[in-house]
Amino acid sequence: MPEIDVAQLVKTFGDQRALDDVSFTVADGELFTLLGPSGCGKSTTLMSIAGFQTPNEGRIAVGGEAIFDASSRLNLAAERRNLGIVFQSYAVWPHMTVFDNLAFPLKVRKLSRKDLGTRVREVLELVDLAPYEKRYPHQLSGGQQQRVALGRALVYSPSVLLLDEPFSNLDAKLRERARTWVKDLQHTLGLTTIFVTHDQDEALSMSDRVLVMDGGVVQQIGTPEEVYRRPANRFVAEFVGQVNLITGTVAGHEDRNAIVDAGEAARGLRVRVDQAPQPRSSLTVAVRPEALIVEAAGDASHNTSNTLLARVTSVAFLGDHYQYELDASGLALTAQSPHQVGSTDVKVHIPPDACAVVA
Amino acid sequence: MAVVQKSIALPRPRRPLLPAGALQAAVWILVVGLIVGPFIPMLYASARDRPLYEAGGILTLEPYRQLFSDGEFWKAWANTLQYAGLTTIMAVIGGASVAILVSRTNLVWRRAFGRLILLPILLPPLGLVLGWIVVWGPGGYLANLFSQRLHLATLAIDTIPGMSLIEASRLLPVAYMTCEAALARADSSLEDAARSAGATPSRVLRSVTIPMLRPALLNSATLIFTLAVASLGIPLLLGTARNIKFVSSYLYLQWTNAEQPDPATVSAGAMMLLVVATLLLLLRNRLLGAEARYVSIAGRAGRNAMLPLRGLRWPLAITIALYLTFSTLIPVLGLALMSVVVVLTPLVAPWKLLTWDHWHQLSTGEFHRAIVNSLEISLVGAILATALVTVATLVAHRSRFPLRKALPFVLLYPRATPGLIIGIGFFWTYLLTWGVGSWLRGSIWGIMLAFCVRNLPFAYVVMYPTLARIGEELDRAGRAAGAGWWRTCRGIVLPLLRPAIFSAFILMFVEILCDYDPALFLVKPGNEVIGTTMLSQFIQGSVGPVAALAVVQVTITLVVLGLGARLFKIGVTGGHDA
Repeated sequence: MPEIDVAQLVKTFGDQRALDDVSFTVADGELFTLLGPSGCGKSTTLMSIAGFQTPNEGRIAVGGEAIFDASSRLNLAAERRNLGIVFQSYAVWPHMTVFDNLAFPLKVRKLSRKDLGTRVREVLELVDLAPYEKRYPHQLSGGQQQRVALGRALVYSPSVLLLDEPFSNLDAKLRERARTWVKDLQHTLGLTTIFVTHDQDEALSMSDRVLVMDGGVVQQIGTPEEVYRRPANRFVAEFVGQVNLITGTVAGHEDRNAIVDAGEAARGLRVRVDQAPQPRSSLTVAVRPEALIVEAAGDASHNTSNTLLARVTSVAFLGDHYQYELDASGLALTAQSPHQVGSTDVKVHIPPDACAVVA
Repeated sequence: MAVVQKSIALPRPRRPLLPAGALQAAVWILVVGLIVGPFIPMLYASARDRPLYEAGGILTLEPYRQLFSDGEFWKAWANTLQYAGLTTIMAVIGGASVAILVSRTNLVWRRAFGRLILLPILLPPLGLVLGWIVVWGPGGYLANLFSQRLHLATLAIDTIPGMSLIEASRLLPVAYMTCEAALARADSSLEDAARSAGATPSRVLRSVTIPMLRPALLNSATLIFTLAVASLGIPLLLGTARNIKFVSSYLYLQWTNAEQPDPATVSAGAMMLLVVATLLLLLRNRLLGAEARYVSIAGRAGRNAMLPLRGLRWPLAITIALYLTFSTLIPVLGLALMSVVVVLTPLVAPWKLLTWDHWHQLSTGEFHRAIVNSLEISLVGAILATALVTVATLVAHRSRFPLRKALPFVLLYPRATPGLIIGIGFFWTYLLTWGVGSWLRGSIWGIMLAFCVRNLPFAYVVMYPTLARIGEELDRAGRAAGAGWWRTCRGIVLPLLRPAIFSAFILMFVEILCDYDPALFLVKPGNEVIGTTMLSQFIQGSVGPVAALAVVQVTITLVVLGLGARLFKIGVTGGHDA
């Protein structure tokens, strides 16, 4: 089964570089996500793999076999790449029944009528659409249409599955169900999959690994945990989830922690670092709101260092947690806690391990 | 959940026998060759010292020198510009007014007017002109009736303003359609906002609606001006008798009636006309910008609040009704009446002169041949042209063929090219292409080819908006599934395009049936078509049978369009996006 190898892709539209030296490798059976805001180049990357965009430079190989190589002018036509793709609009052919939609790729491959019927029904079973084979797309719900698109992409056993924002047209409830369902299916089939989304929740919950992209440049590649907990830079920290950014100067170094002075409020803040930073250099640290520990100012606390005094400026109840906007002597922080804190004067503890240096 | 069993060995998709690029290139070459090709022999013919059918000869600019030194030619240009200018002003003001009234005000019967106003452009142009002449022309029925019985002078239609009026009534729908489409696209909440801000309806019109229409006005004005410059029927039928020559009729008469026909000079004149038409088309493309070039069929949902006309609701409706009556209904009725009386004169009551002789003539000789020939070439031509335009539109918008971007411009080019130039171009082309050419020249198929090329743009403008609404992901899904370009087109795009293909066919049939001017240079005894027969017989004075023939043409047109509209409605649902 194939591994996808994308190397040094460059795509320009006029003066604009839509893809700037994009490289990554997707392991066999992996669910790999391209995550980024709209216009970041994630769809261009996917369409380059599918064969609907022609990059100016770079190389794409599936299972060791090059399907695109700018240097040797190799550009296999989309129809000869044998990839399965689900489009954002589903692109279910409106003039064909569900059965015919799935049969089309097999007719192109000149399967016998009997084999074709068997295979289509097998896949309809797999995507839970067996009772609907005679329906036309307009008689189906959005979720069912999406499964038709998925079935159509799977019916010819493609080497790779490409998903282009497949959940963005579903409503919130259905979207969550579809995610689990697709993830399970992908896992069962062991199909190497590239998934494009701008929704960080989707990316974190489904992927084996995530590639975060912005302005055509790869920002970080890592597991969902790595990307969330140890963002490589400010962009990744801000794009994936909510974040507090604290900027200060490096005052010293102790064990695996840097000591950072961030204004009046946060002097001597301990921050976990991988390498010792230059003393007196400027440093920006990202901390997730749910990593902050908020307690009433009077409570006895086991945390003494990295604890700031703050005033609550607003509280919002969000069902499973409370969100606090805090003012720690001029430093604005957002914190989340499952507990309600009674007073307006609070202590905020910033665990050194929850801090990631982003700049 | 069942695991996908690979119970069946799935082969990889195979390469098609014919690479898609070859098919795309062939279509591209065919389209460009058919549309641009005929002008090359014409250019060649215009720069020779003798006609191409005479042996020998050298390249020279003598024909141009001769043409430019002819005072008549420049006078014809002056007349043409005056005629086209007047036509443009009348047609644009009229068309835009009706469009605003119909789509933005509470005019009475506005829905019916919105449909009826299109009639002049759907009816055969030549038939309509003959109708005008029969009724309003010098010695025309109503013109005589008014002057003799009521002592009221009617407008002399054989003057330049008179001819412009007829041309304007024919081209008014062009302005109407462009403005109506612009209004349908524009958000009417812009107008509602102005009214909320305290503007009166007339103020809203002046300050919001009309300024928003400016691009549509400029666009339709350029097109109407070009079409008026290219017009031949009205100048020939009404101008010639009064010795008012226009560029088109000047060239035609030089070709046919001069004591010493001079094809080289005529070709030079045609080249000049072609250059002017091309410049106007380029100007229009510049005015339009890339996006707004095509009218989208898709309407906006929701109804607009209508500007109240108050006391003018009825007077304006009656004005439009009168206009339609005098410009369209009466000429058509005049033709019908003319076809069943010996002579049409206010001196004797028509029912005393009833006769079926004119209609009997239609079943014999040239008239009969013309009807059969026209039906044949309309049917075959519409099928061929629709097929070609369909594939060409796919190449232009749904392929990666390197030269595809040129196709939309080329496909629209004949719209602005005067019919007589296409006729002259094909005449020389047939002359220079040996066996095939001489076969085409001697049969109705040569005329069919010229008519097809002339009317290709209509098929394209019908086809493109529908194609644009078929999401590109639908055919990408086909490609990803393993189907090649042509297989994807056949299996996915063409079935979805079916309603548009059908309406393009209907439109092509009607346009070819009603066309006439390219054929004037190609027609020979035996291969007459309805248009050329009407023109030549009318000039020879057999008005009655010509009127009957025009009634036949009008009837076929209306029946085919009506049938098409009915069938078309059924097919529309197939074209929606996923």
